Amino acid sequence: MSGTHQQTGGTHQETFEALRGQLREAAATFADGPDALESILLGLVDDVDRAAGEPLEIFPVCHHSPASALAMARRLREKQPKVVYLELCEDMAPLLTELRNCRLPVAVQAFAAAVDGFPPEWSPLSVVAPVTEASAEYQAIAYALDTPGVELVLVDRSSDHVFQWDARGTRSEEPATEGEPDAPAAEEEAALHGDAVGVEIGDLRPRFAELEEHLLRHGKVRHWSEWWHQYVELPLGDGDHDTYRQVMFLIGSLFRRLAPGDAHRVRVDEDRERCMWTRMREHLAATGTDPADCLYVCGAFHAASRVEEFGVHGADTYRISPRTATTWQYGLIPSSHAAIEAQFGLAAGSVSIAATVWAKNVKRTRVEPYRLAGQAGTQKTRPRKNTAAPAPGGGGPLAPAPASDKLTGFLRQPPVLDRLDETELLGWSVEIVRAARRNGYLASTADAIAVFETSILLAGMRDRAKPTPYDFQDAAVTCIEKDTVPGRRDVRRLVEIMMGGDRIGKVGYEALPPLARDVHDRLAPLNLKLQQRGVQRALLDIASRPELQQCSDVLWILRYLMPHGTARPIMGERTLGERPIQESWDVALGTHQRALIELGYEGVSIEQVLEQRLRRTAYDPQATAATVLEAVEDATLYLRSRRLADELGTRALEVLSAERSVDGAPEVLRRVRRLLAYYRTSEPVLPPWIESFATTGYAHYCTLLPTAFSDDDATVRHVAATLGFLFSMESLALSLGCDRTQLELAVAQSHPKDPPKTALLWAAQQHLGHLSRADLRARCDELLANPMVVPAYPRYLSGFVHALEPVPGLSDFVVEAVSNAFGRLPDAVLLPWLPTLITALRADGAELAPLLIREAGRIFPGRLAALDAWVPPWRAQPEPGTAHPAPRAAGGHRGALLAAHPATCDAVANLLGCDGTWATADSPHPAGAALAARHPETATALEALLTRV
Amino acid sequence: MSDLLRAPAEIKYAEELDWLESVDDGPKPFSWRLSPKMIRLFILGSERSDGLDREIAQKWFGDRSFVERSIVTLASDRGLLLIGDPGTGKSWLAELLSAAISRNSTLVVQGTAGTTEDHIKYSWNVSMVIAKGQSRESMIPSPIMTAMETGAIGRFEELTRSTSDVQDALISILSEKYISVPELDSDGIVFAKPGFSVIATANSRDRGVNDLSSALKRRFNFVRIPVMTNKKSEAEIVRFRTEELLRRHRIELDVPPTLLDVLLQSFADLRASAAAAGSDDEKLESALSTAEQIGVLEDAILHSNFFGARALTAHTLATSLVGSLARREPEDLAILNKYLHGVVEPRSKEEGGSWPEFLEGGRDAIATLS
Repeated sequence: MSGTHQQTGGTHQETFEALRGQLREAAATFADGPDALESILLGLVDDVDRAAGEPLEIFPVCHHSPASALAMARRLREKQPKVVYLELCEDMAPLLTELRNCRLPVAVQAFAAAVDGFPPEWSPLSVVAPVTEASAEYQAIAYALDTPGVELVLVDRSSDHVFQWDARGTRSEEPATEGEPDAPAAEEEAALHGDAVGVEIGDLRPRFAELEEHLLRHGKVRHWSEWWHQYVELPLGDGDHDTYRQVMFLIGSLFRRLAPGDAHRVRVDEDRERCMWTRMREHLAATGTDPADCLYVCGAFHAASRVEEFGVHGADTYRISPRTATTWQYGLIPSSHAAIEAQFGLAAGSVSIAATVWAKNVKRTRVEPYRLAGQAGTQKTRPRKNTAAPAPGGGGPLAPAPASDKLTGFLRQPPVLDRLDETELLGWSVEIVRAARRNGYLASTADAIAVFETSILLAGMRDRAKPTPYDFQDAAVTCIEKDTVPGRRDVRRLVEIMMGGDRIGKVGYEALPPLARDVHDRLAPLNLKLQQRGVQRALLDIASRPELQQCSDVLWILRYLMPHGTARPIMGERTLGERPIQESWDVALGTHQRALIELGYEGVSIEQVLEQRLRRTAYDPQATAATVLEAVEDATLYLRSRRLADELGTRALEVLSAERSVDGAPEVLRRVRRLLAYYRTSEPVLPPWIESFATTGYAHYCTLLPTAFSDDDATVRHVAATLGFLFSMESLALSLGCDRTQLELAVAQSHPKDPPKTALLWAAQQHLGHLSRADLRARCDELLANPMVVPAYPRYLSGFVHALEPVPGLSDFVVEAVSNAFGRLPDAVLLPWLPTLITALRADGAELAPLLIREAGRIFPGRLAALDAWVPPWRAQPEPGTAHPAPRAAGGHRGALLAAHPATCDAVANLLGCDGTWATADSPHPAGAALAARHPETATALEALLTRV
Repeated sequence: MSDLLRAPAEIKYAEELDWLESVDDGPKPFSWRLSPKMIRLFILGSERSDGLDREIAQKWFGDRSFVERSIVTLASDRGLLLIGDPGTGKSWLAELLSAAISRNSTLVVQGTAGTTEDHIKYSWNVSMVIAKGQSRESMIPSPIMTAMETGAIGRFEELTRSTSDVQDALISILSEKYISVPELDSDGIVFAKPGFSVIATANSRDRGVNDLSSALKRRFNFVRIPVMTNKKSEAEIVRFRTEELLRRHRIELDVPPTLLDVLLQSFADLRASAAAAGSDDEKLESALSTAEQIGVLEDAILHSNFFGARALTAHTLATSLVGSLARREPEDLAILNKYLHGVVEPRSKEEGGSWPEFLEGGRDAIATLS
């Protein structure tokens, strides 16, 4: 501090001499001699002295402090500085003038979707700086922007540096470092800010938990906001400028000197101070402004800085590191009191209470606050004639009178007791009872009286004459809250709402990025108030008003790009080849304004953003053929862009060729079928990529088929889908030059081991003509007849069910197989399998079940009476051309029939020249044995044949 | 004091109360013996910043605002109803409040299904009535009536356990502040003196047993005492109460801090699992309150002292925990079994310490009970 304030140094040394003396004495009394305590106490005074003596006036502030805002408004009116330096990211400056188009609170946001120079996993980067109306910084901004000849200079490090200096980069080296540079990580409920890093002007709070706990305990308050309100806000209330400044310097210094620990955080703070002072000196030198005409608005914490670079005459040794190559986008996003509280770890309701106190103070003190011209969301007030801001320099800045020691008096004065404002408290009491009644509580006038009394008693117990909003809240809970909460909100929440409630900001149309404005313009034909929060219903009768088609397009894209609930179709769908006639939508664009604005950082129109996103999906290293095909479909659906669809389709082809498993086959099959159907109906010729896709896919899946059949990881569903692709694309692929032999060979090479896949293979062979229906049936019969294999029969069946996908013609056979299972499987096998069948049909065969049911309906008799006479078709007529039907039972229906009517057979036998008698079914020898005995030559010939082989 | 098994707060802390009264210069409502700030200090203990010459120990652990709200309620014309899970210290707070305000915490009516209106108002000494007729002399006033007559705090424990008609007898007492005795021709009204109020407690787990009428609810301010979840304060309470217990039983036994941690951690785990449970069957019947924690420890200490090696072990602690918490079979036992194998077993492998022995003890106890 040697040469920093030589002009006024002598005066200040004397100014605080008395206080120093007292503190020295105090230290000696409490700590039995000069030691650390003395150095801390005297250091505090040194800090205050140093900051107060700085030629460039430092204005210390604390966030969400109405006292700060009021003192700021007063000081600005009095001093009329020509330059205002503000502790806010320097790159956010161009946006501030847009604040007038917004309803506060809003947050200034810097956003980088793609990072260059940071670890890629950090992306997207986002920094938000919320601005409320009841803040000192808003006063400074409004004054500087609306007063001619005044310059506003933001001096804090850029958003880029916020991340450059972030602890995340060094975390691996310093595992103990856990703190974020400026603010605690955003909590989930801070929905309005997303996961942005918050920066705030005037972060003033004890930096270590023990000190805060100590202050709260001894202050007999519950949370930090309450402590601040009682011990700083109230006593400072109407204090003059010097008192305000000195007290804030003192608090800043106190928290700074009592903040051990996190070395990283201290270093970031000091670097910021170095950066700010360097920027200010650069600006002063460049413009030649007299430091006396300037005002430096910063957090009280930074005002008590002890870095070398501090002050107009500070060392000029700091070099601000260059920014990374990351491109930053800027915008305003809506914020809310609740979001600010959540992001900066403040007590619920504290920002709202600060806003209420600010409004009340403005009214009481009759200070004219600054407000941006045309500020949205506020009532227009007629400027008072006598307070119209004169141009700076017009009235001339006040000559800086050396400040006297206001600190001693302040520290010695007894606690300030705010006068009891009886009318206000009565108003609150009546109001809360009314609110409670509306919310289902049985509250009455008696409760209003009780709340009033209890508030005063509670305040008395807590050493204050006037109940604070927090006392009032406790009193209301005590008197009104009973054992249950009748409605949605409890009394605590009702008081919060009553005290101002949450206020949600809104970004005005003019301050929106081009993309968001474009969306609003294009949705204008819907005649909805899209800026409003809440859900609105849009009805689009596209048939009678074709121009609404465009709105529909926008809504579908929004549905794709924005969070769930922004645009939700109630009626209407968008599928390939379908033309919309009528649609109805629930639109909540106002509620999701932040998401829309952040979308605006990605491009200038939603189409462009969508295209980028689709491309990103398609070219992602993890992309599969199915996801790329989905992107193709989306490009066709939402963008109607054949160019993009072709490009992405070609990419799908590449991805498919690189795949080494059939995992994606079901999805690929579904999507490619849909696209094929669409192109066949809507285009004169198929796009080249889909033709290539069919041929490449055919060859690709033929190659993979044998592996898939034997691979344990590939499920029967995947293999079925692979076969499905091959069979359904076959005609197209063959027409384009593929060879069927490839498929036949692939099937021949397949040797599955587990039953479902075996059944699938049989179905495939049947489809290819390698296996007749009768053979298939015979194989199934064999399975059922063999007691060793019967338990596995259901698994074969499930293979057959899946085979319906590639071979839909097999449906009657599947019905037959299932019927056989019901008829012949022993209960011990059948019953445990039934639930499996049902779940399998539900899970895998949702689209196959209807096919099966329709077929079953065709085969089975429709009426009960017909059931008795019904014979299953597969039993009624032996198939012509059966290779070896091999009747297993000698009797059966046919045997009985022949035995009953032997005449027919006799006649045929006569005709053929045979003789003999009929053996009955119960004959001890099988008919075949008698026959063989009578004609031994057949057996001899067979024997010769077999031995030769 | 020494010949009482459990002395009421006003006797136990008589000396402290006397001293506080002597230094108290704050305004006192009605006939209160201490000012509200001193009462708060008596209950929550003193700080250096309070500037007292001697230290006042903290007697009730919980949020400061609960105590403040309770005191303020008693200074208004409404009754105070402390509501919360069993074992959250409601009755203890009520006792401390009435001891500090009126130096008498024994004017208690215990609410049960058998409580009648007579227990709240008055009854008659039948022999006296036969001998002398109905008069103030032959009347037996209830504790509440005595409180009214002396301007003291009357207590009503477990208000919701008594039937609705009995509860409603309180309505006129709380609003008109008198009881009329129609049997007496003259002097038939007993008026309450200033300072009279009622502290009732109700168990939130028993909600629905005998719900309070809206009329009665209106006459009470409700202060809900939550189950303590702050581990630090809970450890403080358990230590405080255990020391008291050891002193009372004159037991020389050391409670290792690691075992206290094991106890606190296991309760915290069980509470977390109860919070996550979907139905009542999936959580323990016990409210897992601090009082139950103390109960478990007390049980373990007594067991170790009289049947064990005069040293508290994790094995005994686990046995006592299972024994105290397993109330329903098989539900509670199943939950404890799941807890032991799902949470304690991995922890005992990872952390070691007392956990393996705790696991062993828990297993043995479950095996015995199953």
